[in-house]
Amino acid sequence: MTTLLEINQLSVKLQDKHILQQLDLHLCAGEILGLVGASGCGKTTLLNAIAGFAKLTDGVIQLDNRIINDGELMVPAQERQVGMIFQDYALFPHLSVTQNIAFGIREYSASEQSLRIDNLLTLLKLSDHKDKYIHQLSGGQQQRVAIARALAPQPKVLLLDEPFSNIDARLRTELMLEIRQLLKKLNITAIFVTHNKDEVFTFADKMAVMAEGKILQLDSPVAICQKPNSWLVADFLQLGTWLTCKLNRNELSTPFGSLNLTDSELEYITRRVSNVSNANLVLLIKPQYLQINESLTVNACVEHISVTEQGYHYQLSSIDDNTRKQSNVSLYSQRMLNIKEKVALQVKPHPLLIFSQ
Amino acid sequence: MLKYIIVGLLLVTSFLSSASSEVNVYSYRQPFLVKPLFDQFTKQTGIKVNVVFAKKGMAERLAREGKYSPADVLLTTDISRLVELREKDLVQAVNSAVLKEAIPAQYQANDNTWFALTTRVRNIYSAKRLGNIDFNYEDLADDKYRGLVCTRSGKHPYTVGLIASMISEHGEEYTLDWLKKFKQNLARKPQGNDRGQVQAIHQNLCDISLGNSYYFGKMLTDDKQKVWADEVYINFPNQNNRGSHVNISGVAMAKYAPNQANAKKLMEYLISKPAQALYAQTNMEYPVRKGVPVSDIVASWGQFKADDLPLEEIAKNRKAALILLDKAKFDL
Amino acid sequence: MIALYNQRKWTFLSYLIALVMMIPVLIMLVDGIDASTQLFGHLWQTVLPDYLQNTILLGVFVVLLSLIFGVVSAALISQTNLLFKQQLRWLLLLPLAMPAYLVAYLYTDLFDYAGPVQRNLRLWFDWQSPTEYWFFDLRTLSGAAVMLALVLYPYIYMLTRGAFEQQDQSLMRAARLLGLNAKQTFFNVALPLARPAIAVSASLVLMETLADFATVQYFSVNTLTTAIFDTWLGYGDMAAANALASVLMLLVLCVIVVEQRGRAGLRHQSSRPNMHKELIQLSFLQQIAASVFCWLLVILGFLLPFALLISMAVEYSNAEQLANLLETGINSIKVSVIAATVAVFIALILGFYQRLHGNKFSHLPQQISGFGYAIPGTVLAMAMLATFAPLDHWLNDIAEFFAWQQPGLIMSGTIFAMIFAFVVRFSAIANGTIASGIKQIPQSLDYAPATLGMGLIKTVTRVHLPILKPTILIAWLLVFVESMKELSAVLLLRPFNFETLSSQIYQLISDEMLEQGALGAILIVLFGLLPIILLNRKREH
Repeated sequence: MTTLLEINQLSVKLQDKHILQQLDLHLCAGEILGLVGASGCGKTTLLNAIAGFAKLTDGVIQLDNRIINDGELMVPAQERQVGMIFQDYALFPHLSVTQNIAFGIREYSASEQSLRIDNLLTLLKLSDHKDKYIHQLSGGQQQRVAIARALAPQPKVLLLDEPFSNIDARLRTELMLEIRQLLKKLNITAIFVTHNKDEVFTFADKMAVMAEGKILQLDSPVAICQKPNSWLVADFLQLGTWLTCKLNRNELSTPFGSLNLTDSELEYITRRVSNVSNANLVLLIKPQYLQINESLTVNACVEHISVTEQGYHYQLSSIDDNTRKQSNVSLYSQRMLNIKEKVALQVKPHPLLIFSQ
Repeated sequence: MLKYIIVGLLLVTSFLSSASSEVNVYSYRQPFLVKPLFDQFTKQTGIKVNVVFAKKGMAERLAREGKYSPADVLLTTDISRLVELREKDLVQAVNSAVLKEAIPAQYQANDNTWFALTTRVRNIYSAKRLGNIDFNYEDLADDKYRGLVCTRSGKHPYTVGLIASMISEHGEEYTLDWLKKFKQNLARKPQGNDRGQVQAIHQNLCDISLGNSYYFGKMLTDDKQKVWADEVYINFPNQNNRGSHVNISGVAMAKYAPNQANAKKLMEYLISKPAQALYAQTNMEYPVRKGVPVSDIVASWGQFKADDLPLEEIAKNRKAALILLDKAKFDL
Repeated sequence: MIALYNQRKWTFLSYLIALVMMIPVLIMLVDGIDASTQLFGHLWQTVLPDYLQNTILLGVFVVLLSLIFGVVSAALISQTNLLFKQQLRWLLLLPLAMPAYLVAYLYTDLFDYAGPVQRNLRLWFDWQSPTEYWFFDLRTLSGAAVMLALVLYPYIYMLTRGAFEQQDQSLMRAARLLGLNAKQTFFNVALPLARPAIAVSASLVLMETLADFATVQYFSVNTLTTAIFDTWLGYGDMAAANALASVLMLLVLCVIVVEQRGRAGLRHQSSRPNMHKELIQLSFLQQIAASVFCWLLVILGFLLPFALLISMAVEYSNAEQLANLLETGINSIKVSVIAATVAVFIALILGFYQRLHGNKFSHLPQQISGFGYAIPGTVLAMAMLATFAPLDHWLNDIAEFFAWQQPGLIMSGTIFAMIFAFVVRFSAIANGTIASGIKQIPQSLDYAPATLGMGLIKTVTRVHLPILKPTILIAWLLVFVESMKELSAVLLLRPFNFETLSSQIYQLISDEMLEQGALGAILIVLFGLLPIILLNRKREH
């Protein structure tokens, strides 16, 4: 696949605050990238930089082999062929659905215009509403119009700024799947910003986790979930709970017993963490890798119980053996436990994800 | 939007274009008083008369406009204004034998900078119920009229002129005292115009008021106001001593008048017999030109003795009069 | 957000406009510095303290009365189950169309000794003279205050009602849940929340009062405006007059500071106006009293004076007047159209400058150019003369130097100066209206057109302007109507053979002959109704 969008060393400063710092990003044609990160991490600014609404302090943005931003050179937004779906859709209230869609293609011939509009109206199931004004449409319909309007000029890349945040939760997944299929069908390259990781799992091919103006990790959602490259990423994605632990050669002691690291796991951790034996390490533990083993001495205390369709969901705290901070973990079990009941937990053998905090 | 701008510009420029034979008048006098005269003048000479009427700020405007002022002829209703224009160097002398001969010497400037067109008396109107009295202006301060006198604002040029003449006669100290007592005699705060005071007498609000002579004539010919006028006598004050205070309406030529010849023609027309007759008949004023009869109504009030104080003296005391008015808080 | 468009031309133009509109004021201030202290001393020792006192008293009276009229009616309309609510809602705005000097004249005519009211009273009770009974005298300071308040209270009514209706109803519900009844909720929550709006509108009323000249003059109430005229025309001392005018402007500046603070408070109001609102239930007697109160305002502020005008017009109008009316009417409309168009144009330039150049200072040009609203027309007219006459001279001198034909007084001697004065004075209205309209356009609409391949100028013309169309119309009409009513600037600046409806009516009023101009007065009032109707229709949708 060819690289469509290439961002190198991108920095943006607003009112003396570094919003983006030396950020790199590569995106291939036809890919859908989901940008996640806590609010204020620079996601929206990155979109604005690509669209041409933010002034770079440094870096280069290249779209389809054309440099659109490099130091003083700044191709105006209207000449970038970048489409954008705004959080509030930014539909023109004084124009009808058709006129909104036609807005970006007004310089094409009338026949070309009507061809594209008809296509989009059909694709987005808006044919029945084409003469309506924006305020006469539901939220979902408005979003379709926004998509149709952005797609009409056939932009090279489509940017979506929290596109699903205004949609009713019940309809959201359905709508996301539908739009994803549409984008795939049209082979559109897209970047979308969200603070909801589940939307990324549903909608994106690739995922980028941002924090403090940098991309921490960019990979497929599955890869990131399986192998988050830092504590920040794993923590942001809430992949599990954290067990404080200590490493002694290849033996990892946790509040719920000791585990042996494989060579590759050991190498992975020593590569990233210097002075491993003194570091504050944490083990990412997903609920499915914990089990109750009554043969052991009790090491955890039930703090909260809730009921789910998979059985009981317990929150437990470790009973401290004085050296470590208390850890709180989550456990699914069919067994009935009482609150404040003490149990013995054990970590099942599994590929270990260890980070330094 | 652009369309509006163009229309706007066209409107402005259309305004700027002007006819070739014309004369521009800045007038303190009200339109309906002088318009018939101008119409007549245009008919006779073919010269178009452009007028801007303003009671206020004329001298200031002239001064600001300076040598580019379009004004040719200045029409005013008060000697002080004419003298003010001369003092600010806004008028020029006009050498016209016609004007010189037609206007009595005391009604024109020695240096030909201003010419009176009509005279008017500052009368005292009194309710008929008071009976026939020989008034002096000094009587307005008399205790026996406490709460019985009405007048318009003291700051009005007609009143200021009268006060200035009082200063000439009696000095400032006496005049201030007179003003204070005059104020005490007022039935109400100074307000309205001269006719309003007669109306107030008609309404029993007061018995005595100050008013210019021609207003009485005009009220007598107005259906609605005749009722008011019928309730009062018009008195010519100070007949047994210095005579009644007389002010003028006059004319001057602007210093930078662009149409001097036309201006002179207009000025000479205004002193002509027909114009003077029009002043007398329609405005009930006293024409300055000898031999032009006053209207029948004015004639019916009889002859009177006018104060022969030189008009320039009145103008000279104008500022002092204003200061006294403030000191007496006459209008407050 | 981000400095999206950084076009230097636009910045330059915006600041240039602001500067040009400030120049007359600056010149006036500079002129005032040279004032002779001697005359000042004399005035200060004699009449100035009284004038100042009158000015302040008048301001206080008018504001207090307008507050009573405006806040109470706004509360009744928006918070209670008033009778005839739907009609009163817009009827209460009508007095805005009445120039104060007109109302003053009509009521004096009505309530004077010779007026129909006293005449009939005398007939009924067989009184002979004014000494036999007491009747209020309208031509006093309090009379003037009542007249002004009757036509100015709608400012307070309009903004306060708006504030009440925009209030977040969940706050009221919270108050109810915390144990307050509807009435207590109003006094403890709704009213305090509306305070910024009340303060802003009260300052508007105060500014209009300080700028008034015709009403107080007709009522012989001597205020600072009188003092300005006296020093200028009586004593012929322009510098001292300018100094006094500067004092007046300082007074108004104080008002503006208060107003700005009020506006800052306004921002904290959130709006969730769609929630159902629980009304205060008035008893039958209370309902009647409340209705009477509102109807009295409508009748006294508009219906009665308008009826008086119509009866005058019916009785006295003739063909000659109609021809005259046509001429002065066209003059009025001409200058008002130009002034409104220019003001709106400027407001758009400055409004978009602020919106699209998102830097810290981009609101400055808009604020500076709105300053003129605070300057009474008379003062402004003086400033115009002081500004344009020298400019004209300079132009003519240049023409003379190059031996071109001299253009004459193309600025101070034409309607140019008059229109300029209108624009300076009323720009604040256009600015405010347009700015609030622009604020309602979501920020994303600034960006969306660019992603669809559209540049800045086209974005403004194709997206913002069409969306703003109703707002532009309202801004235009508001300035148009104010210009139709404006008097002082016309009196001092009009060129040859040029009368407007307002100047003509004023002259007739000062000669106590309004009957002759009743038709023109009706015309002014009718034009004044247009924006009210339009504003009302906009709010309804």
